[in-house]
Amino acid sequence: MSEELKSGILARTGAALAKTLAYAIMIVFTVMTLYPIVWLIINSFKTTQEFQVSQLGFPKEPTLQNYTLAWEFGDFSKLFPNSLIYTIGATAGIILLSLLAGFAFAKIKSRATKPIYASFVIGILLTVNTLMIPLFLEMTVLGLYDTRLAVLLVYIGAGLPTGVYLATEFIKGIPSALVESARIDGAGFLRIFWKIILPMAAPVATTLAILNITGIWNEFALINILVSKTELKSLPLGIFKFSGSLSTDYGKQFAALTIGMAPMLIFYMVFRKQITKGVAAGAVKG
Amino acid sequence: MARMKHVDREEGRAYWMMVLPAFLIYLLVMAFPIILSAVLSVSDYSGGKMFGGERWGFAGFGQYARVFADPFFWNAFKNNMYVVLVSVFGQLPLGFIFAYIIYRRLVKWPDFWQTVLYVPNIISIIVVGLLWQTIFSPNGPIGEIMNNMYRHDFQEQLRTLLGPASGFTVTDSMVRRILELAGPAGAAQFGDPLPELKSLMLSFGSAGGIGPDGYGPLVDGLTNLFVRKWSPEFLNKPDVAMLPVLFVILWMYTGMYLILFLANMQKIDTQIIESARIDGAREGQVMRYIILPSLSGTVVNSAILAISGSLSSFALIFAMTGGGPSRVTEIISIYMYNNAFLGRPNFALANAIALITVAISFLLIMLTKALEKRFGGKEE
Repeated sequence: MSEELKSGILARTGAALAKTLAYAIMIVFTVMTLYPIVWLIINSFKTTQEFQVSQLGFPKEPTLQNYTLAWEFGDFSKLFPNSLIYTIGATAGIILLSLLAGFAFAKIKSRATKPIYASFVIGILLTVNTLMIPLFLEMTVLGLYDTRLAVLLVYIGAGLPTGVYLATEFIKGIPSALVESARIDGAGFLRIFWKIILPMAAPVATTLAILNITGIWNEFALINILVSKTELKSLPLGIFKFSGSLSTDYGKQFAALTIGMAPMLIFYMVFRKQITKGVAAGAVKG
Repeated sequence: MARMKHVDREEGRAYWMMVLPAFLIYLLVMAFPIILSAVLSVSDYSGGKMFGGERWGFAGFGQYARVFADPFFWNAFKNNMYVVLVSVFGQLPLGFIFAYIIYRRLVKWPDFWQTVLYVPNIISIIVVGLLWQTIFSPNGPIGEIMNNMYRHDFQEQLRTLLGPASGFTVTDSMVRRILELAGPAGAAQFGDPLPELKSLMLSFGSAGGIGPDGYGPLVDGLTNLFVRKWSPEFLNKPDVAMLPVLFVILWMYTGMYLILFLANMQKIDTQIIESARIDGAREGQVMRYIILPSLSGTVVNSAILAISGSLSSFALIFAMTGGGPSRVTEIISIYMYNNAFLGRPNFALANAIALITVAISFLLIMLTKALEKRFGGKEE
């Protein structure tokens, strides 16, 4: 056997070994990732009695009873619309306000830009969760505790640092000549914003939408201290009700968890390309 | 000249019209709470109406001293550090390995793996917390597997003890041995273990327990009596109770770093790698000299995100353990929450904690700037 042939074979077995190892790693971690979720969904179709006898395996007589009970107990018919209002309202607010401020920062010269923009950038690492106690007190003093407005304001405020940063950096890349020629034609800034900036900023708006929709839909810590009325609660708060005293009614709890998981899983399945792209673009620290 | 002024004024008005809405909300949600926190942390405010209610005023910096003297604060701080360590030495390397495998096409269907491994990030943290709480509980799948193992083990030992089916007689030593197998909890079920258990076994025998198939009913009966139910000791033992929490954090967020690393690997010019391969560079050399250096910025970036993420994380531990057992799994945010909302609220203390966390965040921001100077230019 020639030396060349030998090293060729060695390289090929090495490559095959690497591939096998790569597959093994990916398969093990994929199973570890998916198994708990699949386990949860399967067991949500068992009665609590059946679950207590057998936690593994498929349900003998699949039942939807857990779902109807969980839906009623969790008041999900009230919480779903709330979650939608918070998510859509706050996301739209973040996108609009971020782009407006970003346009001003990027295209209008002002001495105020430096300090104000810097304060937004600092906010990226200053997470609002840290401030939940003073926020709770502040909203109580303002008479906004237990209102939708408080939740929307806090969510918008929490999303603005990243939003303003990404919007400003993006709009800086739009040629200033476009804005200037529109100015010479006599267009006002708001008109330029609607006609030129907003359509061109679609990519950054998509990123912001992706980041905030998933974040706000799943948010728990802040809304937990801002509202106490069922009429104002979001889905995660409703799901949390199934822990504690009810944690032994497994069937109901699993159904509730599956209900809580389903909307975002579907959203993810539909927009997974945009979501992974948006996450990579949004992971900034200023 | 007059026209210029007019333009300037219009420009200024437009500027503030666009900046103020965002800036005011930002001040309301981020800046004002920090100021409020600073004021309350040195006050004797104890809940109730802030204006027009009970009078409150300056009370000194005692709350800060209390926080720093509180062993529970340091325990929470330590747990935050564990979360950071798991992120930096667990999530980051794992995420990097996954990204590398996908990027170098060592496996087919790159989209599939990426999509699946990111799934936990999409699920509500509350769902994740409650799901894993159940999985680690005695009623979860781990519990079932462990219980089956105990059962099997116990029955094997019983069978060896009882010997061949034909020569079966209940002796005192046999009963004593069974009691040993059952352990203290099993023996405690009987007033006078030896005679009672002996008569129980004999009754199994007379009920057809020793038939042609061996001791089926006898073994089953004793198993049901004695086999202990698995209890997840690591959730009750204070010194290891953080382990399941850290495992879930690893489970949940590793996919995010996979996405970050992969996105940044895909920015590398593939021609550089290809020409290096043609020039005879081995895979390891490609990794060492091309891929790793171009990702150093991402690594620093991710580490900083991990630290700031650990400071803000709350819901997962809140749902999974609530900080228990006996407060060992508290992190700073939960320590703060419990001081404000559990038992007699101490808002002054809770605000001191909030401000300390803000200070840590600012330290972090300065660290970022310093790191950026060292690694300058390599980012993005």
